[in-house]
Amino acid sequence: MSTSDRTKLIDEHVGEQLSGYVDGELTQQERQRVEVHCSSCKECESSLVELRALRERVGKSQLSEFGQDVWRERMDDTVVGTSRGFGWLLLIGFALVAAGIGIFEFIFNSSMSLDEKLLLGAGYLGLALLFLSVLRQRLIERKTDKYKDVEI
Amino acid sequence: MTTNGMRHKLLDLGGGAHALAIQILGNADDAADAVQDAFATVLGKPEAYDDRKGPLKPWFLRVVRNRCLDQLRRQRPNDLPVEELVDTGYNPEQALQIAQQDAALKRAMAAISVDQRQIITLRDYLDLTYAEIAEVLRIAQGTVMSRLHRARLALKEALDVDIR
Repeated sequence: MSTSDRTKLIDEHVGEQLSGYVDGELTQQERQRVEVHCSSCKECESSLVELRALRERVGKSQLSEFGQDVWRERMDDTVVGTSRGFGWLLLIGFALVAAGIGIFEFIFNSSMSLDEKLLLGAGYLGLALLFLSVLRQRLIERKTDKYKDVEI
Repeated sequence: MTTNGMRHKLLDLGGGAHALAIQILGNADDAADAVQDAFATVLGKPEAYDDRKGPLKPWFLRVVRNRCLDQLRRQRPNDLPVEELVDTGYNPEQALQIAQQDAALKRAMAAISVDQRQIITLRDYLDLTYAEIAEVLRIAQGTVMSRLHRARLALKEALDVDIR
């Protein structure tokens, strides 16, 4: 390296390459440049020491306290949730198809008279409406109840 | 990779992913939900990860970051509770100790931007290379060094202000 090159290296601060140096991400030539500069520039040498200390401090800090047990549990919840969702989907599908067949059979293939059909139909409809009403109320409660997670 | 193999590897990555999510969402619980969502995404389709294209860690961190950004889009602006940027944990004694040790760092991290927190966490906490950071953040590899340096200077300045 010529004297003029060396003088230029000393005069120009190395800036962001200090971070690259600390992280071991520079080429050999870039590393040499930083080393030559820092050997003569107290400001950059001091910045290098501070960057190393900062990196170490962040590295040793505790940014998450959750251990593997927590993640294992959460992963299991995910698997259970997925299989439960699929199970519900199958059950609802089956219930809809069964109800459709039942209604079709009841209306078109039953040997009952029209009056009997209307009477029985009203009974079933009443039960269905009651069920839907209770279900709706429970769902609203579940969504809005502030104390649902409180364990006694 | 099999689902079981993926599961074991993800268990190791959970804590680091959570740390990154906390820096983006500012809340330990929301961050844990984002990591859990990422688990569900990855375990639901493990074949989406191709180990020939690189290690699992940056790939999974990118999935976590995307889940965090999805959550942020759903949240109202100014919802970020900066005082929770570092998780205080479950155990009160541990939490106190951690809070004492890291209090200044926590305040300083809260004072810099989300982008700066992310890049510092990825490099200094999770030890990713510049190439991996570029992959997680979807930025050009050539810009990582300058962004990281600016972030570190901002963090250092915030720490200095905190001491004064």
